[in-house]
Amino acid sequence: MIKIVAIAAGLLLAATALAAGAQQLKPETQVKLRKSAYALMNYNFASLAAMAEGKKPYNRDEAARNADMVAMLADVPKAFFGEGTDKGETRAKPEIWQKRQDFDAKMDKMIQETRKLPQAARADLASLEKAVDAAGGACKACHDDYRNK
Amino acid sequence: MGERAIWDVPVRLFHWALAILAVASFVTGKVAGGWMAWHLRSGYAILALLLFRLAWGVAGGDTARFRNFLHGPRAVIDYARSLEALRPAPWVGHNPLGGWVVMLMLAVLLLQAATGLFSDDEIATQGPLASRVADAVVARMTSVHKANGWVIAAVVAVHVAAIAIYQWRLKVNLVGPMVHGGALPEGSDSRHASHILALALFAAACAAVYWLVTIVPRSP
Repeated sequence: MIKIVAIAAGLLLAATALAAGAQQLKPETQVKLRKSAYALMNYNFASLAAMAEGKKPYNRDEAARNADMVAMLADVPKAFFGEGTDKGETRAKPEIWQKRQDFDAKMDKMIQETRKLPQAARADLASLEKAVDAAGGACKACHDDYRNK
Repeated sequence: MGERAIWDVPVRLFHWALAILAVASFVTGKVAGGWMAWHLRSGYAILALLLFRLAWGVAGGDTARFRNFLHGPRAVIDYARSLEALRPAPWVGHNPLGGWVVMLMLAVLLLQAATGLFSDDEIATQGPLASRVADAVVARMTSVHKANGWVIAAVVAVHVAAIAIYQWRLKVNLVGPMVHGGALPEGSDSRHASHILALALFAAACAAVYWLVTIVPRSP
């Protein structure tokens, strides 16, 4: 009896461990997730930029919502540049994995700049403009160096 | 100035405006931080200038007209030989080799302006017509736009290098005439077209660009 319980417990443990292992995402899924985050960042950030450039009237609530989204989503992609995610439906350049430190530094800079957006969006248009320029520049740094055209 | 000048005023204004705007476009496209609005404006201005130049190549003065400065391969080879011998054949207006380089520059710049209309940097800036076509088209246009920027830089480098070679190696000043118009040699004649016509054509070019970048994107 004890033997059977011990075996069952062992099997359960093994199954749990396997399940935990399965949570390691497939490269394909990682690519999908990071691209989704970027797409939504692009959508919300373009709205902020349109306000900053005067193409669209500044609306505090909308700006705040856009800025919150960008700031929140900015944290997402970093986790999804794992092993094997340089292949498939991606424009990520192999240089990302060759110069990982520089890539991470640029990614961190982008995260840091986008975190300033929510406050700037709620302050006034001039603050928003400044924060949008800085964040846009941080995005561009990686697009120039680490993304295929 | 006047009828004794090699280059008419519209050609000279076009040239220097284009030179300034091409540099401005290149720089605003590369630097980070808030310059994309100016990159687009500069591109629109370049497109208007190019459309004007195409019209002026048909309706402008003698040295502006394409059919007067585009020659067949024999003339181009003969002229290239005279360059090789360091004794360039004297020429009024664009020489047979330079004429084709002019066309090359107009072509790559026109390609750049046209693809820019459909490009998207996927950060915050879209060309005015990007939302009117499929994403696959936008992606293609954007990659051509990015690569062609370097092609233009290379062609401009060749253009400037050629002018430097004329200046210092062949002792021919090409910059001066493009500024003050230059003077026709005795006995030759060059017909200039009306400045009113130039203004009208430029206005039409501006209207066409305005239509492309503000009316078309909003049309249903």
